[in-house]
Amino acid sequence: MSGERIVVEAAKKHYGAIPVFEALDLAVRDGETVCILGPSGCGKTTLLRTMHGLVQLDGGRILVDGTAVTGPRRNVAMVFQHFGLMPWKRARDNVAYGVELAGLPQRTIAERVDRYIALVGLRGFERHYPYQLSGGMQQRVGLARALALEPNVLLMDEPFGSLDALTREVLQDELLRIYQRGHIERDGRGTPPAMVFITHSIEESIALGDRIVVLSERPAHVREILSVDIPRPRTVASVIAHPRFVELRDRCWRLLRERAAA
Amino acid sequence: MTVRKAQAQVQAQAPSSPRRRAFRPRGGDWGVRLGAIAILLLVWEFLAPGWNPLIIRPPSAIARAFVELVENGELQTALVISLRAFSAGLAIAVVIGVLLGIVTGRWRFAYNALDPLVSALYSVPSVALIPLIGFIFKFQGDAPRVAAVALFCVFPVLINTQQGVRNVDRGLLEVAHAFNTSERRLWTDVIIPSSLPFMLAGIRLSIGRGLIGMIVAEFFIGLVGLGYLIIQYGNVFRIDRMFVPVIVVAALGIVFMGLVQWLEGRVAPWLRREQ
Repeated sequence: MSGERIVVEAAKKHYGAIPVFEALDLAVRDGETVCILGPSGCGKTTLLRTMHGLVQLDGGRILVDGTAVTGPRRNVAMVFQHFGLMPWKRARDNVAYGVELAGLPQRTIAERVDRYIALVGLRGFERHYPYQLSGGMQQRVGLARALALEPNVLLMDEPFGSLDALTREVLQDELLRIYQRGHIERDGRGTPPAMVFITHSIEESIALGDRIVVLSERPAHVREILSVDIPRPRTVASVIAHPRFVELRDRCWRLLRERAAA
Repeated sequence: MTVRKAQAQVQAQAPSSPRRRAFRPRGGDWGVRLGAIAILLLVWEFLAPGWNPLIIRPPSAIARAFVELVENGELQTALVISLRAFSAGLAIAVVIGVLLGIVTGRWRFAYNALDPLVSALYSVPSVALIPLIGFIFKFQGDAPRVAAVALFCVFPVLINTQQGVRNVDRGLLEVAHAFNTSERRLWTDVIIPSSLPFMLAGIRLSIGRGLIGMIVAEFFIGLVGLGYLIIQYGNVFRIDRMFVPVIVVAALGIVFMGLVQWLEGRVAPWLRREQ
């Protein structure tokens, strides 16, 4: 394998007569975090859904681990902006949802659920219903549910977009911590899954991403791909304090503005 | 830990308090309720003797009539007959209503096929169909009265279930597909639990209607049960005795509503936030 987990080739999607994107190309390497940055309505959420096969392409193709995507698969997991928790399931059962559907043996399910509940800091809240949890805690459940699948690819659809600024920063730090080598069990190697992270926050994309893909206005194409050369382990604070941060932010800002002015 | 829990609870309650907040249950509530009833009964008791006893009797006379009807066994016999028809009719209505609600809520074909019939039957005052039910079941045994109760109860359950199934959160449906759900797990994890509150609301609505159906069927078809007691003592101007089954029917309504509410707490504990 060339180390490329996701390959998007000449992807094309229309909603009726409206083109969402045409001839989009993109590659995500194993263990890498790619942030997709663009304003609302530019089609980035649609792009993420096509990567999971929840939305079908009108042209081109998307390969995950060398196989064309036709529908949701077990080695890909998704975290949703709206959390997507079942109100009638306790936190623990929500975390178990994905692995249960994957049909793993009961013992493995229990082990995984325990492990990822602990990893995202949900211990002591296993028996809470979602309504008894704050927004930040609810999204920890959503994250644990996806991680418990120990997927090769993690798709994040603006996961912190509906949280308040403070909670959002706490969760960004949590995600950076979790993503350090060794926390997520996978093929016995401890490499974190490749992550595609949709956001419209420039700061968030710099803090979390190894690379940032800046999309243009609809129909979306890749305007530029920036490498975030800020060393890991990172925290949000360490990233913001890094001298490269301001340069990267200005570059992103300019790229987004250019398009808006055009 | 406890502080975090408390915070979580405060946040969870926040969305339910925009402008007009529903009454929250408080310790003094029952005092006020019982007090209001007591005052009503007292006023009734003191004003009743001034009226024609053929039209109105004081609560104490009704209480005496209640004891008489219990002692001679008429009330229990009537109650058993009424309750039997009511519970059977309600049970049948819940089963049929939930099944048809699910089918019509989920499949367009079933919806289009059944909707005209459902709308038509729901618009006709169910009372108008009581004589027909009598003929269909030849006025024999419990069957016509059970059918009447079922007819009165089925529509709220059906229509509510249908709404519930149609209103399943699209986001959750997407989540289920994203995690590769099977069709069976889609029903047990998402569709059924999310329409459960609608079903229970439908059942609660149908209780009041079902009691009407029960009484009317007893007036016109069976000449048994609580409805017949009302007719029988009304015809001989025993207003005190006539009131006894009326009060029992009211009590039945309260008991069944409470039962559904209790059931709701058992099968849908996540809904407690709304109370």
